[in-house]
Parts: sequence; C-alpha cells; structure tokens
Amino acid sequence: MKHVIEIRNLTKHYGDLIAVNDLSISIKKGEIFAFLGPNGAGKTTTVEICEGIRKPTSGSVHLFGEEFSGKSKSIRERIGVLPQEYRSFERLTVYETLKYYASFYQRNRNIDEIIALMDLNDKRNDLYMNLSGGLKQRVGVAMALVNDPDIVFLDEPTTGLDPRARRGVWKAIQKLKEEGKTIFLTTHYMEEAEHLADRVAIIHNGRIVAEGSTHELISRHGDGYTVKLHGCDTGKMGSFGWDVREVKDNSITLHVLKPGDITGILSKAIKDGKGFESMEVRRANLEEVFLNLTGETLEGGDAH
Amino acid sequence: MRPVAIITDFMANVKMWYRSKGTVFWAIAFPVLLMLLFGAIFQGQDDVTITLYVQDMDNTDTSEMFISSLEERLKIESIPDDVEFDGYISDNNIRAALVIPQGFENTVQSASMGSNDSLYIILSLDPTRESINGMIRGIVGGTLQGWNMDITGGRNVLIYGEESITAREFKFIDFFLPGVIGITVMTSSIYGTIFRNTKYKKWGILRKLSTTPFSRWEYLVSKMLFMTFVSFVSTFVIIIVGVVVWDIRVIINAYLFVIVTSAAFAFSGMGMLISRFVKEEETADSAGGAVTFPQMFLAGTFFPLEMMPAYLGQIARVLPLYYVNEGLRDAMIHGNNTGAMYNTAIIFTIAAVLFVLGALMTTWTE
Ligand SMILES: Nc1ncnc2c1ncn2[C@@H]1O[C@H](COP(=O)(O)OP(=O)(O)OP(=O)(O)O)[C@@H](O)[C@H]1O
Ligand SMILES: [Mg+2]
Repeated sequence: MKHVIEIRNLTKHYGDLIAVNDLSISIKKGEIFAFLGPNGAGKTTTVEICEGIRKPTSGSVHLFGEEFSGKSKSIRERIGVLPQEYRSFERLTVYETLKYYASFYQRNRNIDEIIALMDLNDKRNDLYMNLSGGLKQRVGVAMALVNDPDIVFLDEPTTGLDPRARRGVWKAIQKLKEEGKTIFLTTHYMEEAEHLADRVAIIHNGRIVAEGSTHELISRHGDGYTVKLHGCDTGKMGSFGWDVREVKDNSITLHVLKPGDITGILSKAIKDGKGFESMEVRRANLEEVFLNLTGETLEGGDAH
Repeated sequence: MRPVAIITDFMANVKMWYRSKGTVFWAIAFPVLLMLLFGAIFQGQDDVTITLYVQDMDNTDTSEMFISSLEERLKIESIPDDVEFDGYISDNNIRAALVIPQGFENTVQSASMGSNDSLYIILSLDPTRESINGMIRGIVGGTLQGWNMDITGGRNVLIYGEESITAREFKFIDFFLPGVIGITVMTSSIYGTIFRNTKYKKWGILRKLSTTPFSRWEYLVSKMLFMTFVSFVSTFVIIIVGVVVWDIRVIINAYLFVIVTSAAFAFSGMGMLISRFVKEEETADSAGGAVTFPQMFLAGTFFPLEMMPAYLGQIARVLPLYYVNEGLRDAMIHGNNTGAMYNTAIIFTIAAVLFVLGALMTTWTE
C-alpha cells in the first residue's frame, strides 16, 4: 500500500459557499505533506473531513486503502489528530493529559518516551493552563502520538507562535518524520512548508493550484529573483518601469528573471534614483510561487 | 485628566458591554426577572386560595351551615366521616384539616337555649407552613367567634384548639433543606454541563475526542457518573450541615438516592439541550440563568407553593425541580412514602426523557 491517504474529488459546501472544490490528492506512507494556503482556503475543512470530523458534500477519503467517514474504530486507532487552535483541559498536567488520551486506544506508546521526544521532560507535571503557547502546541502534538499512529494530522501546529517556539514544534515534527510517520499538516507559513514538507500542495479557494516538492514548485512557478531595496525614493524608483511587487514605507521589492538583470537595476538606482541604503537579493520562494499562481499574497489573506 | 480619553474608554466599555449578551442579561434581565417573580409571588399573598380539609362527624344542618360559613373564605374539601382522621391526612399529605365533632348541632342548640355546654373544635395544621397557618388560624378563629356571638352573644361555646399534623415539630429549615439539595443539584448539573460542552466545543476537545475510539456514549456515561457523584457530595454536605447545625432529623432511604440521581440526569439532560443551541461561553451564562432562576423561585424551594397565586402553582407543576423538591421533602422529612414514590416516579420519567433527548442532540462533529 503506497498511498495511505487518498482524497478523491472532495467537495464541501457550506450553504452557498464552496469551501472545498473537487479536490484530489494522494499522500504516500512516510511523507510529510503540507497544505499551504491563506485563511479560508479550505485547509481545515479538508483535513477535518479526512479525520472523520466533517462530512463531505461529495467525494471520498480513503485511509490505509479503506473508505473512512469517521465511523471505523480500527482506523481511529491508527490516526493521531491535532485540531486547529486546540486547547486541552486546563487542570490536568502534561502527563495526565497524555495518559487520558492514551486510555482510549488499544495500541499505546510509552508516555515518557513521547514526553522525551517532544522535549517536555521539564514540564511533565505542570498544569496545561500554566504552559506557554509553544509548549501547549507541543503537548498537542504529543497528544496526537499516544496511540503510536501511522498518520498524524496537524492543523496549523505553529500559528500564533513566536519564531523560537515555532522552531521547537518543527523539531518535534521532524523527529516524527524520522520515525517514518506519515504527516499531513496545514499551514499558512511558507517557511514552515519549505522547512518541513517533502511535498507541498498550494490550496486556494478550495482548489489545489499546484503540488510538488518545494524545489519543483519554485522551479516550475517561481522563476527569477527578488530584489528588495531599502531606504530609497520609492516614488522615483517606481517610475523606472521595473517589475515592482511591493512598496512599503521607503523600501521597494522588485522581481527579475536573471541574475544579470540585477546589475542594471543597481546602476540605475544609483545613477538616476538617488541611491539606497541597503539591499537584499534572494531566489524566489513559495511566497512568489503563491503570488504567481493566485495573484495574491499569502499574507494578504492573513486575517488573524 | 483628559476627558476625551475617559469618554473614549467609557464608550468602548458601553459598546463591549452591550455586545456581550451574557452581561446584559445579568445587568438587566436578571433584576427584571426577580422583580416580576417576587412581585407575583408576594402579590399572591392577598388572594391565595387556601384549602382546608373538613371531616364532618356531626352531619347535621348546623354543621353544614358552619362549613358554608368557612367556605366564604377558604376552599373546603371534605374528608369522609368513615375514615380514620390521622391516617387519612398523612396518607393524602393534607396540611390543614378540621374535625367537626359529633354533637356539634346539639351543643350549639343547647347553648343557645342557655346551657353551659361547650365544644372544642380542633384545627390540625402543618407547622412547616407557618405563614399560611396564620391565615387559616385567623379565618377559623374568626368564624368560631362569629358563631359564638350569634349563639350566646359572646360566651365561648365553640372553643378553638389546635394541634400539629405530624407528631414532629417542623420548622422552616426542614422545609428548606430538601430545597437546597434540589437547587444545588440543578445548578451544578445545568451549569456544569453547559459550560463543559461550550468550552470543550470551542477548545476543540470534542472534535479531538471524536477522532479517538472513545465513543460519544462512553463519554456521556462517564460525565453522568461524574455529575451524579458531584450531586451526592453536595447532598451529603447539605445533610451533614442540616443535622449538625440545625438538628434536622433526616430520613435516608432509597427514594433519596433515586431522586438525587434522577435529578442529576434530568438537569444534565437539560444542560445538553441548551448547549446544543448555545455557541459561545458568554451566552452560556444567560441561557443557564434563564432555566435555573424561574425554577429556583417557582418550584417551591424558598416558599411553599401555597403562598403563591394559583397560576404560579400551575407553572410549578411543569418544572422538574418542583418534583425533586416535593419528592425529597416527602422522602427525607415527612417520611411520606406514598408522596415520595409518586414524585420519584415523575422525576425519574422526566430524567429519562430529558437525558435521552439531550444525549441524542449532543454532537461532537458538525
Ligand atoms: N462550519 C462552517 N460553516 C460555514 N462556513 C464554514 C464553516 N467552516 C468553514 N467555513 C468557511 O469555509 C471556508 C474554508 O474554511 P477552512 O476553515 O477550511 O479554511 P482554512 O484554510 O482552514 O482557514 P484558516 O487558515 O483560517 O484556518 C472559509 O470561507 C470558512 O469561512
Ligand atoms: Mg484552518
């Protein structure tokens, strides 16, 4: 069995709104698969249908080769879930929380081992309500591991965390990958998808607009380079006919196709444009891929 | 001091206050509800229909006349003259009764012709209802006095006497203790269930649980065990305080257990039904208040139903808490097993219906 998750022609309507529109994907065993999309793209809807929490309007989800609608207990035994914006029981300790969830399953993984894996040893006997946001999310991931699941669903595991806490959660997820777990995660942070995922699907308005490894996506849809000039006269620079992507305060972001184009920009900016204070150049990333494909920024959709 | 800042902050508070329906409920609807409820309850003092049971052992025209003079101000029900008085009033849970002894007519007639005869008219009253007893006492005493005036111009021919219906002396606290158990089980079960359900829904705990092999029914059973446990802890504490501090004699029997358990189920079921429609934690408060407060005041927790106007008494009879209170009083205080059984049967049925409905309406997923 190569594909442990198979989503076929999935559609979900909420009244008139089409949240997921004829979406199909297959996820291989042992893969970290990331759903990248802005708020309201349909990530949670899709994932929660896979987890059996929501019912599709049409289409189907197969887990381990078997159609799953939430009923089958033997499939529930084999999946681990972290819902979006999950909060656990306030007055249970980390250990008690994990023990609580573990009691529901036949298959169990040693709780101390999970605590060590998620780097929660120090917090073992702390009440959940006293943990920081990052630790809470790590407990959330730990909670999804108590049954030693074959598939782990993580819905926006790092939203709202500061960069350091985010790295902590990433480290935890990478350890799962090393253990050969299949991970389906959603995010609206392109760094997260780039950093963690073997394969990324960009989802927009309920449809997958592109799918592949970060490299593939960038070479297919994210050609060229981004040049950002800080501390410059943006009004003047904007009139030079460059491919301007963003103007913010006194910085301007441009897109060029070849590295060679950069020298032209620099000399023109210095000669005709009163110069600049500093500059950044980088290869296109998933942000540009998303922009190229949808005409919108990932951030733009970020309402939180 | 910057007035603009103060005004801005004040306006922001007004806006947020107005937008949070729960707080508005507490600030406005709650006092209004209290005013209306208490107003209705105490206004009723003037025109309550008080029932007096009368056993006419004389069965003469004169005794009938006496009964009709009482009937002007009381609702009279009759006790057959061939039953044993004490047994009858305890079996039927009668709280105020009067016996017209045999020889009533003879005494009245001979007294009016100048004899020295006199006769005790004994009124039996339930001491837990002191406020009502006062009214009955006044009416019966007044009627007797009127008759004495008519017969002899004032000599006490018909002498007023009084005894307690039960052998024991009951006080208000005897009436109150079962009511405290009732409201405690009600509020903890309803609020506990609503808060748990709305919180767990919001936090994603219910969604998370739905992806585990733990079933909704297993969850419900464990929650009910828990609510029942909490209800018994409260009941136990209330009884201990009642016994130790107020020296209440409490009867502990199977009815008590069945009623408290049924109450926990009935009110948790009610909580489940409510949380089905309440989406936010803030509204949970007002929804809980909306079902608990009317019951608290109308179901005979603080005042006997007889003190209220009849229409409020009718409302009480559709409130589950009324049967809990009455059943607990019959079982724990009065030792009235017939009444306890009747109320237990009703609350048990209500519990079954509310719990099953609540359980069916509770969903973890969409
Ligand atoms: N229960 C619901 N009822 C009605 N509309 C819903 C419901 N759940 C989601 N939606 C709508 O469906 C669309 C997709 O929502 P979904 O939660 O799947 O997006 P998402 O990609 O997970 O977004 P986010 O990053 O904000 O979590 C949104 O427009 C949302 O408003
Ligand atoms: Mg989401």
